[in-house]
Amino acid sequence: MFRWRKAFIVARREYLVRVRTKAFWISTLAVPVVLLAFSLGPAFLMARATGTYHVGVLTADQELFHRMERALADRRGQEGSSRIVVTVARLAPAAERNGQREELKKAVLEKRFAAVVVLPEALPSGAEEAKVEYLSTNLSALQLIVTVERAVAQAIREKRLAEAGVAPEVARIALAGVDLLPVKVRQGGEESRESVASTFAVGYVLVFVIFFTAVMYGMIVMRGVIEEKSSRIVEVIVANLSPRELMFGKIFGVGLVGLTQYALWLMLAANAMGFFASSGVAGAAGVLTNPALMLSFLVFFVLGYFLYGSLYAALGAAFNSEEEAQQVQNVAGWVMAMPFLFMVPIMNNPDSTVSVVVSLIPFFAPMLFFLRMVLQFPPTWQILLCFALLISTTALVVRLGAAVYRVGILSYGARPTVKQLWQWARGKS
Amino acid sequence: MAQLQVDKVSKAFGAVQAVKELSFSVPKGAIYGLLGPNGAGKTTTIRMIMRIVLPDAGTILLEGEPVDDLKRERIGYLPEERGLYRKMHVLEHLVFLGEVRGLPRDEASHRAKAWLDRLGLAEKAHSKVEALSKGMQQKVQFAAAVIHDPPLVILDEPFTGLDPIATRQLKDEILHMTNRGITVLFSTHVLPQAEELCTHYCLINRGRALFSGEAEEVRKRYAKAQLKVATANGVPPPQGVAGVSLVEKRHGFYFLHLDGTEQAPEVVREVANRCPVVSVEHYQPSLEEIFLRAVEEDHVSLA
Repeated sequence: MFRWRKAFIVARREYLVRVRTKAFWISTLAVPVVLLAFSLGPAFLMARATGTYHVGVLTADQELFHRMERALADRRGQEGSSRIVVTVARLAPAAERNGQREELKKAVLEKRFAAVVVLPEALPSGAEEAKVEYLSTNLSALQLIVTVERAVAQAIREKRLAEAGVAPEVARIALAGVDLLPVKVRQGGEESRESVASTFAVGYVLVFVIFFTAVMYGMIVMRGVIEEKSSRIVEVIVANLSPRELMFGKIFGVGLVGLTQYALWLMLAANAMGFFASSGVAGAAGVLTNPALMLSFLVFFVLGYFLYGSLYAALGAAFNSEEEAQQVQNVAGWVMAMPFLFMVPIMNNPDSTVSVVVSLIPFFAPMLFFLRMVLQFPPTWQILLCFALLISTTALVVRLGAAVYRVGILSYGARPTVKQLWQWARGKS
Repeated sequence: MAQLQVDKVSKAFGAVQAVKELSFSVPKGAIYGLLGPNGAGKTTTIRMIMRIVLPDAGTILLEGEPVDDLKRERIGYLPEERGLYRKMHVLEHLVFLGEVRGLPRDEASHRAKAWLDRLGLAEKAHSKVEALSKGMQQKVQFAAAVIHDPPLVILDEPFTGLDPIATRQLKDEILHMTNRGITVLFSTHVLPQAEELCTHYCLINRGRALFSGEAEEVRKRYAKAQLKVATANGVPPPQGVAGVSLVEKRHGFYFLHLDGTEQAPEVVREVANRCPVVSVEHYQPSLEEIFLRAVEEDHVSLA
């Protein structure tokens, strides 16, 4: 028999006591600050880093240099935000090449140039590749390297085509690029434009949110259980609460604390949204405004938390201190991290038998099945099967956890044996 | 019908037989003392009554019916190992425990306030539990055990850690409860307290009942009458007087254990004739002596 009223009393206590602690408010405020620092910090630094780069070019070919300059100017127009590269050239006749190169190297070391590009003395003939040197103290400035590479490549291609006698109109055709437009096709023939990167990113982020919520709040539940045991309060309440009521109430109460925290974060985020709207977040709208997806996110978020919360509660019940629980907890952590190994294969092929089977395993489902829903909505029977498996597993774990709770709580000192657990799991409670 | 009936209950933890075929019966309205040395099986017995551990064998009946999770709610229980949520406020905590015990929120709040008044903790109502002294916490726990007015209250070592004033207060509360028809079962190893309060006893040693029953009956059955004799210059009383089973010397007095109270006049005359008696008085052995003797004999029988 399960008395909801009693579970509710436990949950209310758990909620009220936790929500009014300083720790709750500190962590509620600290997380967005840390997140902001993490997400905006690098962007801010990058924005500072994309100042003006001086790149030296060593060549005797005035024309090639001008073509390169033009190509850079074109790019600057295209990529709005990345206002890079102004070029200063050093034109050297063949005889002085080596001396000039040494001089430019010194200039790089003295930071007068961010990089120096050494163009070949003469362009190769036929289909041979042109060899261009790029000298810099920093070969990790990928954006700069790529921009310079493209400009050089364009300049050289143009010049080679011109020298081969190709008409400028034809050359333009030859140099024109292709823009790949990703279109997502859904059941019923609907189609929508989505950026590949943002679908991937949003899916990834939401899966992480589900995972971390389950782990973070699961651990709070575990700590609560251990605390309850060591303070002996269980003895006082155990006569009036069944372990299942106590455990469910606890998980539920801590879960509500978590939801409160997320609600506060969402409110903060909504206020900050205007700020973000201009950036890549807009591309995520496809996922965020899809009600079916958001609903399933919520469902998996809650079920995932409950499943792992009860697992952690059982863990807490089986041990007398956090140190004791640590080792098993680490193992549990590795098992829980396993879904991440399957993420890429599932993204590549969400419909394969392996993907379907793995995503239906209850302990992975909150992460992996949800990921599949983001990628490609699975058939209804799979959704129903997934929920059925997940809910019944959660019920089973709560039951099993309650059994551990009962034995673990009441047999201080002595670790419960498997036989004891089995007896309690089957026995009346 | 007995309020609580424990019938041939046994419990083993691994190789240790904690309780063995223990039987006793707590009548309605009694103050029942569960006595015994440390490790005798008192707490295990109480935990079996509370279904915290289940007995291997035997039955436990509350008002004639087996205790189940619902019936258990009708027992007020103060465990030996007690604790409170340290970060909660006192009143809030008591209301929470009242609700857990099945009271509606308003009623729990009303009674919690009344109890705090009664126990002199009214001004601590909004303090955190961790700010209370140990004795105060114990009072709160006692109030929590009885806040739902259960017909049977079980207190496991309720007096440990209390100062004399708090002890007095708790004793008064126990007496007050019996006046209201509540049955109290408590365990203790402090015998003078049991002697002062209890209408019934059960003495447990090594998991078995050495004796149980009404206090007066226990005394009559197990405490043989004694004469406390003082003699001039401590001359020992004569040996082999008819009706005397044992002579002990304690604190300068001779204690003559009689076979029966009715033999007293004859024995007094005989002894006074044969040695210089200064004073003679009838001596009633305390529960503690009965208890110690019974436990001693039990261990002798073991050897």
